[in-house]
Amino acid sequence: MTLLEAHNITKRFGGLVAVNDLSLSVSEGEILGMIGPNGAGKTTAFNMISGYYQPNEGRVIFDGKDITGLRPDQVCKLGLARTFQVVKPFPQLSVLDNVLVGAYNRTNDKQEAQQKAREILDFLGMGNMTEQLAGGLSVAGRKRLEIAKVLATGPKMILLDEAMAGLRPIETDEIIELVRQISQQGVALLLVEHVMKVIMSLADRIVVIHHGEKIAEGEPQAVVQDKAVIDAYLGEEVANVAG
Amino acid sequence: METLKASPRNWLQNILADWDKTQVLVSFVILGLIALTPLFIKSPYYMGIVILTTLYIFTGISWNIVAGFSGQLLIAHISFLAFGAYTTIVLYNTYGVTPWVGIFIGGIVAGLLGVVVAFITLRYGLKMDYFALFTIALMVALKTLFLKWKFVGGAIGMGLSLSEPGFGKMIFDSKVPYLYIALGLTALGIIAQYAIYQSKMGKYFMAIREDEAAAAALGVNTSLYNTLALVIGAAMAGVGGGFYVMYVTFVEPPQVFDLGLNVEILMAAPIIGGLGSLAGPVLGGILNKPLAELIRGLLAGGRSGSTLIVYGSFLILAILFMPRGVTGVLHGFYLKWQRRKTGNKQEG
Ligand SMILES: Nc1ncnc2c1ncn2[C@@H]1O[C@H](COP(=O)(O)OP(=O)(O)OP(=O)(O)O)[C@@H](O)[C@H]1O
Ligand SMILES: [Mg+2]
Repeated sequence: MTLLEAHNITKRFGGLVAVNDLSLSVSEGEILGMIGPNGAGKTTAFNMISGYYQPNEGRVIFDGKDITGLRPDQVCKLGLARTFQVVKPFPQLSVLDNVLVGAYNRTNDKQEAQQKAREILDFLGMGNMTEQLAGGLSVAGRKRLEIAKVLATGPKMILLDEAMAGLRPIETDEIIELVRQISQQGVALLLVEHVMKVIMSLADRIVVIHHGEKIAEGEPQAVVQDKAVIDAYLGEEVANVAG
Repeated sequence: METLKASPRNWLQNILADWDKTQVLVSFVILGLIALTPLFIKSPYYMGIVILTTLYIFTGISWNIVAGFSGQLLIAHISFLAFGAYTTIVLYNTYGVTPWVGIFIGGIVAGLLGVVVAFITLRYGLKMDYFALFTIALMVALKTLFLKWKFVGGAIGMGLSLSEPGFGKMIFDSKVPYLYIALGLTALGIIAQYAIYQSKMGKYFMAIREDEAAAAALGVNTSLYNTLALVIGAAMAGVGGGFYVMYVTFVEPPQVFDLGLNVEILMAAPIIGGLGSLAGPVLGGILNKPLAELIRGLLAGGRSGSTLIVYGSFLILAILFMPRGVTGVLHGFYLKWQRRKTGNKQEG
């Protein structure tokens, strides 16, 4: 069953068309990878889907409801949560409180929310950092915290915007494993990544965005062999490695 | 199995193991010390300073919730205090409503002004510096309005219709009862502040302060919670204003719609004490009013310009050298003490 559908969404900033007539869909439990060069419009698409930008045209349907024009918090309440490419911890709050804010999305009960937050921090291997201030975390810690916060909101689907950018290979592998486990729990994912290894090992399908438009879509192996994709984004080398 | 013994010693250890609870304990110890001052201070002048010190802690808490917890750049918070003051005195003078009820109605009226401010600023997307400017502009506009508004005394203002002292009228011969009313309000204020801090609402306020977009992404209705913080802070300031007018016995527009008093009565205590912290308003408050009074005394009387310059410079120095206020400094010591304690335990 389709969980998320974007129908012909467009976003203009003055004269610049950041996203043009983009359509995509994600099924329940599926991982859709989104790739494309810098400035292609990936984050802008995220912002439209998650309620941060109102699309100039087009509609977004989530779980059978039209969510176009809803506020970010309303979108989150419906079970669609997003992370930020530039991570946004609450620096002066403890790691536990950061995640607690997410956990309160589904409950008003303090005990219940705290328990949920602790479980999620344990799952992410951050169980020993709960009392630390989020502002003091390393880059890798902040990236994990970003995932912990969205997980705590109890989502049906997560939009991950470059959750692994700037990490060392080992750290990346760990996050890949975590994302796989999240997916196995039935959570659908839309994944933006520049690291092809991540996309290739996780995505069920890929969409490629260039200049705000979708230029290819399909099985990962097929897409990376696509001539237009290679020209626009990957270059010969990567395609060979991946293929 | 450990037996649950609620011995006083365990009780104290439990509190001291938690910095938030420790701050509340420190706050109540200080309130307790203030409560003892009538034993030593007999001069009405000095008792007056103690009373205003206590009131400014309470009003400081009201600003701390808005500016410190939810991070809204609310400068002219004093409009809410003024609404509380005017409501209380008009209800008493004109309609004979007892101030015990009047100051809480004053809180409600101030809270309603808070709803209006929240509505307008959200409607027009006024944030940060624009929000700050709006609150100042509103204060100036309200001052003009109140100067013209005959029903509340216009430019002359309103003096409390003094009659025989009486508990029901909240009018007393001695200053001491005023002190205990202020202490009662402040104790409630500290408990309310702690309850908010610990609650879902409090965490949402602080998430908004730290990063509004990130808070929204986690399901926080930022407009709603910004409004809640503003209304709670406004209502508390209104209650404070109600008590203030009963104590000083008069109110006039230039007195209460004034940025100087705004800084002294609302902003100084949390800033000196540590904005957003639980003990900030108390720790800052016990320095703030006495210091302002000392400066005023040294520079010979009145609300002269030089007093404001020295007082203002002091505040700036406090911000520069204690960015997290007195509470921040104490927290540093607390952490060292905690580390030493756990260190000893591991060795022994
Ligand atoms: N708020 C904005 N105002 C104006 N232009 C914007 C805004 N946000 C994005 N853009 C522009 O829209 C285009 C798409 O940007 P976007 O951030 O969506 O790209 P991206 O695919 O996420 O890139 P990257 O891989 O670097 O993260 C860029 O040209 C960018 O400069
Ligand atoms: Mg991006």
